[in-house]
Amino acid sequence: MSDQTAPLPLIMPLGDRGLLVRFGTTLSEAANRHAVGFAAKAEAASLSGVVDVVPNLASVLIRYVPSIVEFERLAGEVRLLVSASEVDTIDGRVHAVAVEFAGEDLDEVAAIVGVSRSAFVAMHCAEPLRVLATGFAPGFVYLGFHPEALRVPRRAAVRSQVPAGTVLFAAGQTAITSTDIPTGWHVIGRTEFRNFDPTVEPPTRLAAGDMVRFEVAR
Amino acid sequence: MTRVGPLTTLQDAGRPGWLAHGISASGPMDRAAFERAGLWLGGAGSTAIEFTSGLAFVLEGGPLSMAADGGGYALTINDKAIAWPARVVLKPGDAVDIRPGSWGNWGYLRFGAEIEGELALGSRAANSIAGLGRVLGVGDRLAFGPELERSRAPHPRATEQGQGPFRVIWGLHADTFDHATRGRFIEGSFRVSARMDRMGTRLDDPGGVFAGQRVLSLLSDAIVPGDIQILGDGTPIVLMRDHQPTGGYPRIATLVSADIDRFAQLRPSSDVRFEPVTLKHALGLTP
Repeated sequence: MSDQTAPLPLIMPLGDRGLLVRFGTTLSEAANRHAVGFAAKAEAASLSGVVDVVPNLASVLIRYVPSIVEFERLAGEVRLLVSASEVDTIDGRVHAVAVEFAGEDLDEVAAIVGVSRSAFVAMHCAEPLRVLATGFAPGFVYLGFHPEALRVPRRAAVRSQVPAGTVLFAAGQTAITSTDIPTGWHVIGRTEFRNFDPTVEPPTRLAAGDMVRFEVAR
Repeated sequence: MTRVGPLTTLQDAGRPGWLAHGISASGPMDRAAFERAGLWLGGAGSTAIEFTSGLAFVLEGGPLSMAADGGGYALTINDKAIAWPARVVLKPGDAVDIRPGSWGNWGYLRFGAEIEGELALGSRAANSIAGLGRVLGVGDRLAFGPELERSRAPHPRATEQGQGPFRVIWGLHADTFDHATRGRFIEGSFRVSARMDRMGTRLDDPGGVFAGQRVLSLLSDAIVPGDIQILGDGTPIVLMRDHQPTGGYPRIATLVSADIDRFAQLRPSSDVRFEPVTLKHALGLTP
C-alpha cells in the first residue's frame, strides 16, 4: 500500500465488551487490506485486557474485558496503532485447492458472464485469490477479488442447505463452505478441501491474507 | 438419562478466542445461574448439564454431590420434592426428576466431580452451529471422574426473576434506522416468541415498530452476543451464545452483558422493552 495514508477508521463499541474498528461500510480491496493488516498489528501488540482480535471483511472486532481495560483507553491504544505506521502488506501462505467444477449454477453463471463453461472455469482459476475473511459460519472463507468481468450478483432465491466443501460464487468473490449452510450464492463446484477440523488447533487452515490458487480437480 | 427435553447439552464456561475461525464462544445461556450452581457446591466440575423443559435420570454409581439452579424448576428425588435451587448428595439408585416450574427456560446441574469426555478446542461446551460438544438424549450415559475437593459453601438461595426494561447500547447499524424507527424501538413493546434456541430468540413486534422496514444490503460484519438484528421482513432477533460469527442483517442495538442472562430466561409471550444506556453506565450495571 506504499506510503498512501490509511483512512482513519471508525472506532465504535459493539455492546459493552466489544470494540469495532471499521475501515469501510462497503467492501473494497483497500478496506479489506487495512482490516487484515490492522488485525495482525493488534494481535502482535498483545493489548492488555484484549481476549480476541477478529478480522472481518472491512473491520476488526476486538473483544475485551472491561474490568481490565475500559473502552476509551482501548480506543486510544487502537488509534495509536492505526497511525503508527502504514498498513503492512501481509505475506500470507499460498494454498492450492482442487475443485470439481460441476455445480448446479455453473452453466447459469457462465451464461451471465457470456462465456462457455470451460472458459468461465479458466477465467475463475486464472489468478490466485486472497482470503478476505473467515465469517458467517465456522471455517467459511470469502476469497477475492475476481476481475470486473466476473462480477455476478447473488441468486434471487436462497438454497436452504449446501454441504461442506461447496464452492460458491457471487459479487466478484468465491467462497468455500466448511459446514452445511444456507446460501444465496451460486453453486459452481465442490472440493475435498475442508477448512474446518475442530479436532486440531487451530481448527482452520486458511487465514485472512493467505492466497488460494484454484485448480481443476482431475 | 430417562427423560430429556429439547436442547439439553453439556456446557462449561465456553470457548472464547476462536471467533476468527468462525466459532462463537457458546457457554451457558444463563451464566450467572451456571456460576451459582457451582457456588452452592463450593467447588464443582467445570461442566454442567444445561436443560430446558426438564430431564430425569437414575444414578448408577455414586455417591455424587449435585447442585441445581437457573429459573424456577420443580425437582424431586425418588418422588420427594426438594426446594429449588438445590444442593444434594445423590446415592446409588436415586431417581432425579426435574420439571418446569414458575419461570425460566434454562436450568443447570453441576456436580462435585468432572463429567468425563473429550474437549473440543479446549472446552466441552456444545455449539449448535459448529457441531461441537454433546447434545443429550434419552438413554445417554454420563461418566464422572473422582469427587473433587470442596470448600464450605453458602446454602442455596433462590434468585428472583429480574424485572424492568432491557438495557441496550445502540448497535453497529443504528444509524441506518431513521429517527422515528429508533424512537419507536425504545418506546414500543415487543413480545418473546416461541422460536428460541441457543442461537437466538425471535421477537414478535405487535406494535409494528419495524413494519415496512426497507431491506438493506449491508456488508457482513461482526456479531456479538446480545445483538438485536432486524430481518428483511421486520422480525427482530436477539442473538445469543451460539450466534453466527458475522451477519449481514442490520443490528439496531446490543443488550448490555448484565442483562443477557435475564433475557435468556424470558418465556414465550413475555413483554420486552428496551432502554438505551451509555457504555459507561453499562459497566456499572448489575442484573
